[in-house]
Amino acid sequence: MVQADRPWQAFYGPDVRPDIGTSSYRNLPELIGSVAETHKSAKAFTCVLPNGMNGTLTFAQVDEMSDALAVYLREVAGLNAGDRVAVQMPNSLSFPVAAFGVFKAGCVLVNVNPLYTADEMAKQFEDAEPHALIIADMFADKVPAATRGHPIPNVIITRVAEFLPVLPRGIVGLVQKYWDRSVKPVEVAHVRLPDALKAGRNHIRTDHVEVGSYHQAITHDDLAVLQYTGGTTGVAKGAMLTHGNLILNMEQAMELLGGDMEKWAEVILTALPLYHIFAFTVNMLAFYWLGARNILIPNPRPLSNVKRAFENYKITWISGVNTLFNALCNEQWFQDSPPKHLKFAGAGGMALQSSVAERWREVTGTEVLQGYGLTETSPVVTFEPLGKTREGTIGIPVPSTDVACFGEDGAMLATGETGEIGARGPQIMKGYWKKPEETAKVMNGDIFLTGDIGVMDPDGYVRIVARKKDMVVVSGFNVYPNEVEDVLAAHPGVAEAAVIGVPDDASGEAVKAFIVKGDPGLSVDQVRAYCKEHLTGYKVPKQVEFRDTLPKSNVGKILRKDLRAEALAQAAE
Amino acid sequence: MVDEFTQTLLGSMVAVIMLGMGASLTPRDFYLALRRPYGLAIGVVSQYGIMPFLGFMLALALTVPETIAVGILIMACMPGGTTSNIFTYFSKGNLALSVLMTVTSTVFGVVLIPLILLLYAAALDLEIPREDIIAVLIVLLVPVAIGMTLRKINPNAGAVMEFLGSILGAFFILFIAVTWIPQNWQFLLNTTGATYVAAIGLGVIGITIGYFFATSLKLHPRNARTVALETGIQNGPLAIAIVVFTFPPEQQQAIMAVPALYSLFIVITSTLVTFVFRRANTAAEQKLPDGLL
Repeated sequence: MVQADRPWQAFYGPDVRPDIGTSSYRNLPELIGSVAETHKSAKAFTCVLPNGMNGTLTFAQVDEMSDALAVYLREVAGLNAGDRVAVQMPNSLSFPVAAFGVFKAGCVLVNVNPLYTADEMAKQFEDAEPHALIIADMFADKVPAATRGHPIPNVIITRVAEFLPVLPRGIVGLVQKYWDRSVKPVEVAHVRLPDALKAGRNHIRTDHVEVGSYHQAITHDDLAVLQYTGGTTGVAKGAMLTHGNLILNMEQAMELLGGDMEKWAEVILTALPLYHIFAFTVNMLAFYWLGARNILIPNPRPLSNVKRAFENYKITWISGVNTLFNALCNEQWFQDSPPKHLKFAGAGGMALQSSVAERWREVTGTEVLQGYGLTETSPVVTFEPLGKTREGTIGIPVPSTDVACFGEDGAMLATGETGEIGARGPQIMKGYWKKPEETAKVMNGDIFLTGDIGVMDPDGYVRIVARKKDMVVVSGFNVYPNEVEDVLAAHPGVAEAAVIGVPDDASGEAVKAFIVKGDPGLSVDQVRAYCKEHLTGYKVPKQVEFRDTLPKSNVGKILRKDLRAEALAQAAE
Repeated sequence: MVDEFTQTLLGSMVAVIMLGMGASLTPRDFYLALRRPYGLAIGVVSQYGIMPFLGFMLALALTVPETIAVGILIMACMPGGTTSNIFTYFSKGNLALSVLMTVTSTVFGVVLIPLILLLYAAALDLEIPREDIIAVLIVLLVPVAIGMTLRKINPNAGAVMEFLGSILGAFFILFIAVTWIPQNWQFLLNTTGATYVAAIGLGVIGITIGYFFATSLKLHPRNARTVALETGIQNGPLAIAIVVFTFPPEQQQAIMAVPALYSLFIVITSTLVTFVFRRANTAAEQKLPDGLL
């Protein structure tokens, strides 16, 4: 795929380099350290709770704390370079400390969704084999069940209010413990994050440990993150993202969108979870690099939880998914006083509805730019350039990226022909962790095949037409029918089950299950309750329909496409 | 009869409660309220129109001694209490609206309370220490302003203050229950049922009228429930403070009866109402799908 002309470059701003070349940073720890070096006392991360209680870490503090954690991981926990460290927490000040600490230790970060059930955690842990787990106390009660049979030797516990001033931290702790009872006693051997940092600092002081020695040799080609995704087939796979993938993807995104951004002056709102690749690369890494202040929201539900953050800070940029922008526009307090200093917003994760983009423009007077990418692409592949949005498209490829459509036979199609979207660039993952056959399925030479069917306008704007596989996207999260069907099939009262995605006003798509009863007494509530036990909330079927039979091909394969056609026809009525 | 120590304690508790009230506010809230003066007007009407009139009618209809009648009137003329914010929170009402109504009614109260109190007192032929009441009200606006400033300068301190204020609001009622009731046991046994009817009726009827008033104006159900609670729930601690600081000691016991009893019973009334409102709310919430948000 050599695209000599790259027609989309015509839409790049005057200062945008079509090719960003290589980065000046050899690895992420070097980037983290050198940014902190320039503006030590600038505010890097501020965690804001629903009542306005907050805590802030400066660039120097994040740098120092992550150093201490790196030393703890290597010297006390005894980890080696390349060992995996799972991090499982909502947005909080601990997140950047944990992530940066893992990078500095020369270890590999495994992001885990904190809302995962113990079953889901176990699957991911079995595959990634982490040597350490850094987890928020609210979710630690799932650890014993999730690590049965394959224990994780080091567990570090943190909390949402970590690093907040003592009084707010104490109040939040009391409220969580006695009022909402969201924090249960931890039943595994563990160390608290502040104690781990203390131990790390002691080692630095007494043994003169050089943190730099852990990551000196790391190059762009070395593994930084295992980011789990169902991929296109539904088997959980860890996309191996390297230091180069993340550094360059962050630079690619900033090259295209950063023109209006001012170094050391931006304040961004991070309501999306950092364990998701979009917020991880764009919000956490790219804006850290820019020297922005990152306002972290631990839990944006209900949306009134972000009200104080909007009141107390001059937000200049926000990232989100369609659902978030839509819901914000529906909140009266947001309509009454939309953020005055906002420059624009970035949307990803799911298709941005044009009605929502329009509402957002009306309410805030700024644009929402839509981007596109996948876990396997670190994630940014395309973005709409500022002032040049085009309805119905996902924008144009970011610098140093080639995008084209491919036919069933793997041949590149001419512009304007519909086919599977393929992308090539420095952001494409190294492959799937321990799954070379799976990697081979999605790679066509150095081109990553996305599984999305699209078409490119003659001037380079890309449109998504359909998804190749049966994946359902619920408000930005991928749900694989196989996984949900497996859970349903395990229920003793279910004879057969099929799962599809149906259009949904609130979440874009919703999961719908068709079930043939084995036990005539089976009820919808029982099915949903069973699913809730084994699956994260967004995977639980919103709709359940009982059938006498399911449509099947002549070899007995359930035809999801027939069910989908039926559901669409019903919705159209 | 209240000794000096208790008097100081009461005063400082009310001050902290008001500090917390101020800390829950930003200047932007006032700006927004002025942009939607309709909501503000509803608050003022329900707080200083409906409630004092209700108090007046109760004082008129029930055969109670003059001192009890003064107590009823004072209680009825009070601004919204911070406890209304807690109940609004638990009944999933519009917290911002509740806080705003509480504070605006407190601010407007400096002028309106003495005026209305005087009007109804004259109609009932009762003596009211007007100047002293104004003084107490103005003094209590100071912590509100301090709270607001604190919140602006340091959101953490503001949030802590807000939290302590609401805790203290609940503690205040407990304090009344354990100190005032045992000391005034005999009085409470001797007083007529009419006193109890007034103390309970003020809350129950106030919430009911407030609700129908709001729905007749076609307010969003969530806001209607908020206005209802805001109307019925008065600032009990403030009423008690006013009685303690402005009336001669020998009259205090009887005048304080309704404010003290009201403060206790309103907790029960509001809790029951909260259960009803919560149920009504569940169906109407903006549902956010599970997923990336």
